[in-house]
Amino acid sequence: MADRHEIAEAYADWRARCNENDRLRRMLRGWDRVVHLVATDTGDRFTVVVRDQMLAELTDDAEAVADLVVTATSEDFADLFWGDLNPSEKYMSGEITLAGAQEDVMRLDAMSMVAFLDQ
Amino acid sequence: MTAGPPAPAPAPERGGAALLRRALGLRTVVSTSTGLAFAALEYLAAAGLVAYVAGDSAWIAVATAGLLALLAWGCFSELNGMFPTAAAIRLYMKRSMDDRVALTITLTYLTTIVLVVAADAFIVGTAIAHVLGQSAPVAALIIAALLGLAVGSNLRGVKVAGGVQDVATYCVLVATAVVAVTALVRSHRPLRFPLSPLHGHHPADLLEAVALGVFLFSAFEWVTTNAEEVRRPRDIHRGMLIALALLAAVCCLITVAMSHVLTHHQLGSAYPQLSLGRAAFGQAGLWLMAGVTAATAVNTFNGGFITASRFIYATAREGSLPAALARLNDRAVPWVPVLALGLVSLVVSLVVAATGSWEVLVAVGAALEALIYAVAAYCVLRLRTRLPEHPRPFRLPAPRILAGAAIAVFAVLAATASVSVQNRFDPVPLAVIAIGGLLSTAYVLVALPRVRAAAEAKKAARRPRRPPRPAQDPGP
Repeated sequence: MADRHEIAEAYADWRARCNENDRLRRMLRGWDRVVHLVATDTGDRFTVVVRDQMLAELTDDAEAVADLVVTATSEDFADLFWGDLNPSEKYMSGEITLAGAQEDVMRLDAMSMVAFLDQ
Repeated sequence: MTAGPPAPAPAPERGGAALLRRALGLRTVVSTSTGLAFAALEYLAAAGLVAYVAGDSAWIAVATAGLLALLAWGCFSELNGMFPTAAAIRLYMKRSMDDRVALTITLTYLTTIVLVVAADAFIVGTAIAHVLGQSAPVAALIIAALLGLAVGSNLRGVKVAGGVQDVATYCVLVATAVVAVTALVRSHRPLRFPLSPLHGHHPADLLEAVALGVFLFSAFEWVTTNAEEVRRPRDIHRGMLIALALLAAVCCLITVAMSHVLTHHQLGSAYPQLSLGRAAFGQAGLWLMAGVTAATAVNTFNGGFITASRFIYATAREGSLPAALARLNDRAVPWVPVLALGLVSLVVSLVVAATGSWEVLVAVGAALEALIYAVAAYCVLRLRTRLPEHPRPFRLPAPRILAGAAIAVFAVLAATASVSVQNRFDPVPLAVIAIGGLLSTAYVLVALPRVRAAAEAKKAARRPRRPPRPAQDPGP
């Protein structure tokens, strides 16, 4: 299981890649969203806020209402943020579940794909 | 890495208060489910159905089809409850059968979406050209313009808002029902053989009528791909049930009105709904039904393009389709599938326009949808055995009887629909389905192993970026 520190470290790396990626920032134009992350094995919850085409820092508390809720194991979150996991594979096998509008799900997946296109 | 089949992650909690800022309510679920089923092709299917029964008794075939659609509703409700995700079709098929078979069936199912989009483009384009008094070449231009507009909107990420979709769908239903009732009342003639569908007809004709009747309800289940967006998960199966009731009522009305009011020539045209509108309200009715026909395209183009393109994108991201199909434009739209869908739909609709073979399209759609309903029933049965402990918020009662009956009935209906056009034996629909199935099979057996090998090679070549965990101090 990945603890909060590992997930925060992974997210910080992912956040830096996303915020420095011009193409990704264009994709996030007009897409201000609150995303909840729920780790099924540890019970940890995090919030990611996307505003003005930028990802904010990961916070431990969960705002009352989200636009998108992502549920996965803590290991999957860590691997996803490091770019070692294709979230679509896990989603299509039911290991990652989502709640939210389809277009929001698409943008989130776009972030995970485009941020690591040079890999 | 865990061994064995992965356990499904639990669905996100949905407490009493809305968890999501933007969530779909029951009203939008109903309008989405109904709107996806009530495409412009609905009018042609209704007109086609009329030819198989006596007098004004088509409502019996529609009502029978509605009861059968309840079987499909039960199966999709159970499957949706088990896998409340847009990827459900891949999930429940993969867990019910060999993945190659599942993928072949899924790709063939996608063909239905292309057919419906193509058919709608053809019908709307032809109807508009007819109302404007224009010829077939102009209709072809209108078809191309409509599809171009749909592709362009999708590429720009333009999505019809839920509220607009609700208004469009309910207006279509109400207007259609009002036109049908008015046309019937204004005929000043009693109904002919309203309770005798077999008068002068063979029982096989009624079977064909029921098969076409099932097609009138088909695509109601596509709303299950919105399972992640709803305020309450049970709204999906409740919304589908309400949608079936609405569809049954409106389709009973239009089939009876068409059989009672329209001539044989009008029934065989590409726009019988315009003739029905004229019978009800004269020239104003003609324009009203032209507008209604155009409004049906809102749901078809919006829902059909989005559903199909996102599914192709997700399947490509999973590694089961070429990676090129997962390319995104700057609006996070999978532009390759959207363009491909638009082009294929254009070709199909122009071929239909040139050959006048829209009834073949209806028969293919009816057969494919019946097949999918049979497959869904099979998945329900298999998963009761393979995943007996999986949470099932909705359980189909007496599954061996009901799902077993669904498999048998829908398989027979699919077979019947695939070899009949205009109440005559015609193997062309079967040939079209067989070609589609062969192409899907060829892709899965020949191309897919290479696609997956390429994806695996790319994955293997990447070095993990995640730093290794520091070794724990073993202590003294």
